[in-house]
Amino acid sequence: MAYTDTLQRTWRENILFSVLVELTYRCNLNCFFCYNDPQLRGVPLTTEQYGQFFEDLRELGALNLTFSGGEPLARADFFTLGRQARELGFVVRVKSNGHALNGRLARRLREEVDPFIVEVSLHGARAETHDRQTRMPGSFGKLLVNLHEMQALGLRVKLNSPLTAWNEAEIEAMFTLADERDLPIQFDPQITPRDDGDPEPLAIAPSRASVARLFELQRARAAARQTDREPRPTDTAEVAGSKHCGAGSATVTVDPFGNVYPCVQWRRRVGNLHEQSIQTIWRQSQELAEVRRLAVEVKQAVSQHGPLGFGFCPGLAEQETGDPAGLYPAARRLLDLRRQPAH
Amino acid sequence: MIEADMVLQRCADTRYRNIGGEGVVVRQTAGEVLVLNEIGVRVLDLLETTMPVNGLLDALDAEYAIDRATLERDVLAYLQELVDAGVIEPVAA
Repeated sequence: MAYTDTLQRTWRENILFSVLVELTYRCNLNCFFCYNDPQLRGVPLTTEQYGQFFEDLRELGALNLTFSGGEPLARADFFTLGRQARELGFVVRVKSNGHALNGRLARRLREEVDPFIVEVSLHGARAETHDRQTRMPGSFGKLLVNLHEMQALGLRVKLNSPLTAWNEAEIEAMFTLADERDLPIQFDPQITPRDDGDPEPLAIAPSRASVARLFELQRARAAARQTDREPRPTDTAEVAGSKHCGAGSATVTVDPFGNVYPCVQWRRRVGNLHEQSIQTIWRQSQELAEVRRLAVEVKQAVSQHGPLGFGFCPGLAEQETGDPAGLYPAARRLLDLRRQPAH
Repeated sequence: MIEADMVLQRCADTRYRNIGGEGVVVRQTAGEVLVLNEIGVRVLDLLETTMPVNGLLDALDAEYAIDRATLERDVLAYLQELVDAGVIEPVAA
């Protein structure tokens, strides 16, 4: 049996498989392009509520649990929650800016939480560039030290890099930085508005030429890699089926105040954990049923534009056009670039 | 070689869920994912706590209409495959 078949089944049969938990919006950096809505208010979930939530997720069969933020380690009970997730048998991922993950904290993370992977943000290949985006002098140097310590402790680390107008001249250098440290690196060519609709981050969206160059480099690197292997949990799998994506069918995202969304980018509220359990939301939410129906419609609509592997996101589409199948500007640009023949 | 008097457990670095009758096993250290069939799911569900091979055989014998000798041969071979794949391991005496 193939893993992709199982993933396809989770989408088709609405089996909750992966959950992203935004533990807090507090952060020790101040990234210019951050998509979090700093004005969002609510009652944070307590340690006990998270404990019940994790138990409920396990009962639903969810396997993957990602801690994100803000900076997830900024939550005081992070290690309590991490230990609980480990004990309940989740594959734990941690999305961190890496700034606080020095040797001591990294060791605690390794020993107490034992994450499958730590995903750390890299914003440039030079201190000047990285620190400009994080708006924190010294953050680049600190990150490199922390990466070294995390790897020495045996933590699996991956770099995530949002491509921006400020770092687009360093794409090759960022690949080199990752390769020299034997770290996988994933670029995100889409800078998005904030969750409250504030378009300020778009001011540093990458140029069309840079996104094209990134795709060329990615194609070349993919061709050089071994590709005839089974997919791994670190892969982003392409899943065939009637739905455009697994948002709301196999995944949900929960913000610090218990609001539940289909995914991290599709911020259509489908329930709240202060009011209902995740089982009730997953099985009875009319809003979630609507998202699942829309996922089918979006696939049909987007397929008219040709190959679907161009990174179309219904969440961004809804945010920018009001229609989850609407062709928003960044998607239009990605589609144009994907249609260009490889050189 | 798996023997009937061994005690087995799921390897500590694995994470496992029964996804509607299919078993998804993630080997954390290796960074690999395995998908197990119905028998694999049943074995791992039984191994939620440590269990002797004889206990596994008795449980499966009660659930499947197959003669005991064939069951033992097939299950022992399958358990060895799971050991080789890093999914389960004998408990040290």
